[in-house]
Amino acid sequence: MVTVEVVGEETREIDPETLGTDPTYADLVRAVDYSPHEVSVLVDDQPVPEDRAVDADYVRVLRLIKGG
Amino acid sequence: MLELSRSVYDELIAHARERAPEECCGVLGGRQGADRSRADRHRRASNIASDPETAYELDPEEQLAHMQAIEDAGQDVVGFVHSHPAGPPRPSRTDERQATWTGYSYVIVVLDGAEPFVGSWRWTGERFQQETVAIQSAESPT
Repeated sequence: MVTVEVVGEETREIDPETLGTDPTYADLVRAVDYSPHEVSVLVDDQPVPEDRAVDADYVRVLRLIKGG
Repeated sequence: MLELSRSVYDELIAHARERAPEECCGVLGGRQGADRSRADRHRRASNIASDPETAYELDPEEQLAHMQAIEDAGQDVVGFVHSHPAGPPRPSRTDERQATWTGYSYVIVVLDGAEPFVGSWRWTGERFQQETVAIQSAESPT
């Protein structure tokens, strides 16, 4: 199981096996109902590429603050 | 409604003026409520947008550090600030497309008029809803 904390919102437990073969952090983001382009994924408070295979058991999903 | 302490209000305008013509950005701390929030802390953030004169973007690591510092002080994250040095006095289309923090205040400091304007909008998840901005002196009751 991967613990996914959406900062400022909720924490969910996601079973990577439900996300298909070799799930990525982008897949994990979609599993908590966000689009990869609107968040950053942090492991140990460091951003990780969203196309990387999930290799941590605790991740933070940080909604980005940006605009024009 | 968003209540700003006088010191935060002054700091927002000062930061926007210092960064112009680029957009400034930051994070507000205080007490967050569904209908009424109060901010008495402002943390300046770096604008890492590729074109900072027309866009803003917080660095995720810095954003998280600001938010954690606010929570470590026993406060809530109330919302976020950016400036429109040349207007408009409302959220832009880009602001609407990229908003993600449902229920939080998005404060915009506008500098295109004779006097600065500070407005605030709550992101409903679908649109920005303008809220009243009140400025309180240090002696005002909370």
